[in-house]
Amino acid sequence: MRTQPFLSQKQTVQRYSPPSRAARTISTLRKAGIGSIRRSSPPRGPAPPSGQRLKASNSFRSLYDQEQTNPRRSSIMFPQRAQPPVGPRDEGGMGKRWVRWMHKQGLKRFVVLSSVLAAVWVKWAVGLGSYSGQGTPPMFGDYEAQRHWLELTIHLPVRQWYTYDLQYWGLDYPPLTAYVSWLCGIVGSWIDPSWFALASSRGIETPGSKIYMRATVLAFDTLIYVPALIFFARAWQGTRSIRTQELVLLVLLFHPALALIDFGHFQYNSVMLGLTLLAINFFSTGHDLLGAVCFVLSLGFKQMALYYAPAIGSYLLGKCLYLGSTKGSQLFIRLALVTSATFLVLFLPFLPPFAPLSAIRDPIARIFPFARGLFEDKVANFWCASDVLVKWRRWASRGILVQLSAGLTALGFLPAAAGLISAGWKLRKRAQTAQETDKEKEDAATPMLPLLPYALLTSSMSFFLFSFQVHEKTILLPLLPMTLILAGAASAPGTHTSAYNMGMLVNNVAVFSMWPLLKRDGLSLQYVALTVFWNHLLGYNPFQKPRTFLQYLSIAVYGACAILHLLELMITPPSRLPDIYPVLNVLISTPVFVFAWLWSIKRGVEVGWALGGIGASSSRHADHKISASSTVANGPSSTGIKENSDSGIPAGAKPGTRRSLGFADSKRRAPFRTGSVEAS
Amino acid sequence: MSKVVQEKSDGAQASTPDEKHDEPTPPSPTSWLGLDPTARDILVVSTCLKLLLFPAYRSTDFEVHRNWLAITHSLPISKWYYDTTSEWTLDYPPFFAYFEKLLSIPAYLIDPKIVNLQNLNYDSWSVIAYQRTTVILTELVLGAAVLRFIRGAPNPTTQRIISASLFLHPGFLIIDHIHFQYNGFMFGILLWSILMARNDNKLASGFLFAVLLNFKHIYMYLAPAYFIYLLRSFCLSPSGALLPSRFISLANAVIIAFLASLGPFLLMGQLPQLLSRLFPFTRGLNHAYWAPNVWALVTAADRVLLRLARIGQIGAISLNEAGLASTSRGLVGDTVFAVLPTVKPIHTFAITIAFQVIYLTKLWKTPTYKSFLTALTLCGYTSFMFGWHVHEKAILLVLVPLSLLATENHAYFRTFMLASIAGVYSLFPLLFTPAESLIKLVYSVLWAFFVFGPLHKRVYEFPRSLPFVVIDFLEKLYMAGFPLLHLFMTTLPLVTRSGPLATSATCVASDNLSCPETGPSAGTTKTGTSALEFLPLMMTSVYCAIGLVWAFLRLSVLYMKQH
Repeated sequence: MRTQPFLSQKQTVQRYSPPSRAARTISTLRKAGIGSIRRSSPPRGPAPPSGQRLKASNSFRSLYDQEQTNPRRSSIMFPQRAQPPVGPRDEGGMGKRWVRWMHKQGLKRFVVLSSVLAAVWVKWAVGLGSYSGQGTPPMFGDYEAQRHWLELTIHLPVRQWYTYDLQYWGLDYPPLTAYVSWLCGIVGSWIDPSWFALASSRGIETPGSKIYMRATVLAFDTLIYVPALIFFARAWQGTRSIRTQELVLLVLLFHPALALIDFGHFQYNSVMLGLTLLAINFFSTGHDLLGAVCFVLSLGFKQMALYYAPAIGSYLLGKCLYLGSTKGSQLFIRLALVTSATFLVLFLPFLPPFAPLSAIRDPIARIFPFARGLFEDKVANFWCASDVLVKWRRWASRGILVQLSAGLTALGFLPAAAGLISAGWKLRKRAQTAQETDKEKEDAATPMLPLLPYALLTSSMSFFLFSFQVHEKTILLPLLPMTLILAGAASAPGTHTSAYNMGMLVNNVAVFSMWPLLKRDGLSLQYVALTVFWNHLLGYNPFQKPRTFLQYLSIAVYGACAILHLLELMITPPSRLPDIYPVLNVLISTPVFVFAWLWSIKRGVEVGWALGGIGASSSRHADHKISASSTVANGPSSTGIKENSDSGIPAGAKPGTRRSLGFADSKRRAPFRTGSVEAS
Repeated sequence: MSKVVQEKSDGAQASTPDEKHDEPTPPSPTSWLGLDPTARDILVVSTCLKLLLFPAYRSTDFEVHRNWLAITHSLPISKWYYDTTSEWTLDYPPFFAYFEKLLSIPAYLIDPKIVNLQNLNYDSWSVIAYQRTTVILTELVLGAAVLRFIRGAPNPTTQRIISASLFLHPGFLIIDHIHFQYNGFMFGILLWSILMARNDNKLASGFLFAVLLNFKHIYMYLAPAYFIYLLRSFCLSPSGALLPSRFISLANAVIIAFLASLGPFLLMGQLPQLLSRLFPFTRGLNHAYWAPNVWALVTAADRVLLRLARIGQIGAISLNEAGLASTSRGLVGDTVFAVLPTVKPIHTFAITIAFQVIYLTKLWKTPTYKSFLTALTLCGYTSFMFGWHVHEKAILLVLVPLSLLATENHAYFRTFMLASIAGVYSLFPLLFTPAESLIKLVYSVLWAFFVFGPLHKRVYEFPRSLPFVVIDFLEKLYMAGFPLLHLFMTTLPLVTRSGPLATSATCVASDNLSCPETGPSAGTTKTGTSALEFLPLMMTSVYCAIGLVWAFLRLSVLYMKQH
């Protein structure tokens, strides 16, 4: 609340109760759809002292508040108050209506089950279509690559996995993929040996083998990714209503880009993403070691999980710092041990005593293919987009390009890593003054947890934009944190304009950026159906009353996408420029991804500020006085950083209580805490 | 299509009264077609799901319809019913032929090869996308009809669920959007006709039904109920006096419909040829896969008795030699019983008529809308139960009108539930390919979940006496048997598998209308293996037949006891 920051500490304590009631009223009003009323309500505290002090201590906050409350809307909204507010049925998308209907019909116990079943149906239905490289001998595509790995792992000794006939889809993923392939291959050849017969099964395209391959993807998706999503909804959205959690799950389950790539194009990305998501979930519940194991497994499944590594590493480092010298170094050593042990187990067959030390070179050389070019195909990243103007590969040698891309990537994820580590450092200092016991700190979730999704987004997006050898499918990695953020915001699109619109834009553009690939795979119909379905599920309508820059940008981008699709449909590209449409696609998509990357840095900085920013230490004192006097019954949370539901800053709640993710407003909690956080 | 859009917007206005929360909600400027959010959700979701099914398995009915596009486009009308270029000759009434003619015009613009008569078994992406799209678009007739049902319903909220359940019925998904037919379109016309009857516009109702008959003659199963109802409630006064003006207007409406359809062929003197195409009396009692009706039970009983006789348990039974041959041939072709007396078409005809007379007498006495609806359902049900060469797809004739009765009371609801579960499950063998097995199963389970759950809550009554408690228990037991049955069906082929999966993709031309999708080539396998191959189908058929026969008896008793 804006008026609160200007109260003195004493006033804060004394006046605590009345403002909280007022704030509750306001929150009720906001729920009723009158988002702007507080702007017009008269200040309840003393009049804000104008001038220097306000600017010095609150300039950033007030800017941020303005962004959240969106003054332009308030001026539009207010005259409309005479009209009835938009009915609850119209608000939100189909997902929200469906969840509400299920609850009303007394079927709420089955919401999760039936949404998972429906998602299984949709994924399988996508799988009815063709896959990458179907009917295109002699090399076929990604499907044949995966199938070939099933074939070679069951027939060859482990040592030969990374060396056998590398020209024909040699294995180039880390060992966990190989082990999973081996398992699938064993089961598959038990059903029908001809599907995975060595050499003779190359390019096999029988209906049976296709169904089996599709079934393995579905099985791993359902066993790893879907539970991770349910876990996410419970762990990260724990403070929010069951309906919101269900909606979050729904949004994530029908994610079009992943379904198109995994079940249409054919890959096992959901295993890698699911393991990373499990890691994040374990971090949020304080099980850092389990989380680290999951993340190493994710890395061991696909090296692309490395895109997340800076964020996850900095988070864990930040947590070690936050815990202080004793506990922190203990955790650090444990993490180091667990991580190395997991890696060792994963690579065990390639290490002594099972193999000579030189054997480890085979998988490593295959996993990091620097011998390949800067980029293949057309991919919506910095290198490919700028290649239109600057012919990088002519201009610089590969060695320089590798260094350049590595440098730019590191620069790209630096803000995220620095933010997490510095937040951990700052919070440690504050925690020391508060004399919290170490035990308490260790059990509680780390306060910088809300930074993590943004850091993941920054880091993976920077890898996608700047690193070497990126594929268009790799956009799935930045999409995961983006969609996690979006899912939290989707339950109340009106109050989370920025995250909601950004998430939708990036997701839709990501699917669009994969259009050349999907078209080649014969998945254009699925592309349309899934995108429309998902947007309708979220009730997304970008063309409805644009207000912010982001919304205008979205309209422009969608317009460009639509025009490009129409052009492609009607005009065949001139023979001089056969790649004109993919290039235009890249030129439309890349700016959006760059924008998302910048946005994630901005949000990360904002959340970081709110966590350890100006005036925070004095707010702690105010809090302690309140809890000590215990005059107000304001719920269990009285230590640590309070949830600022107005600006979307999460609670570092007490041990054992469920936490809500930072990017999402907690609708259930009245924002009466805000004042004390801001008091200075 | 403009008509449909118009109808839809009418229907949307109808749906507002039951929305208590936001009655004064002004139509939001972004709402398209004037649909309310729920209807829009259902339309978007179902369309997206159906789009995903484009690459799914399609039966020979797909080629049948493509061939009809070609016939109607490239031949003059005088040759439509004579053409034999393809084995899938035109055997639907003329309105359907005109409909195909209409569809063939855009088809020609999209890809001229679609309508090339010689281009048999054409299956490029263009023809698949085009034909599947026409199914989705014409099904909007059904959507508009069920939307209109909500207005004026005694309980619009319940009717909304029933309407949604009809539009999303797994029967339509399986038969129309995977197997390929235009049932959604034609049941849309039927529902329009029923809606007109409900809204007391019986002239329109009779006319629409006459039109429907000229689209697909299978709806003749329902004709007796229409005839009696319209005669009694429209053409006769309550005292029984004939109202000549009404009678003549109705007769004219029906005659106009038939003239528009059959007129050109009448003028060309092709009526006998047309009728011979429409009614080929050369088929067996059972379809390749036994439709789950009384004859499935009788045939199964015959098989069991034969086993017993062979073992020697029952000595003094004279075996029919032809019947022995029939059983060893598997299921394809004519069925001749080995032990039981053989059934002839005239027998099935007589039994059907006898049952229908009972219901129609009741209808004559109580010519109300509800009574009509029940009698209509029972007419279709009787034909399905006792008809000659009934196809399992005909179960939709029962399930669609029965859905409209589902929330009368708990007894009706239970009947609806039993018939729907057994009926939909009996459609499963239509899609025998492994890829579609998950599709049909998960979709049907979800549909059952979303329909039975809320409706059950609304009508539940506790069984009142001991026999009812026992019946209730047995019915629940029967329904709980379906998961077990399905488990058995899926594991049996894995255990007794002799070759790779999905072998029986070849089709046997024993049927004019459609291919016996489930039948591998007839008479090639030995009795032993073929018995094992057919066992799952036989079990499905018999198990579903038990439920459907029981639901039939239930509905008959309910109707006859109703006041």
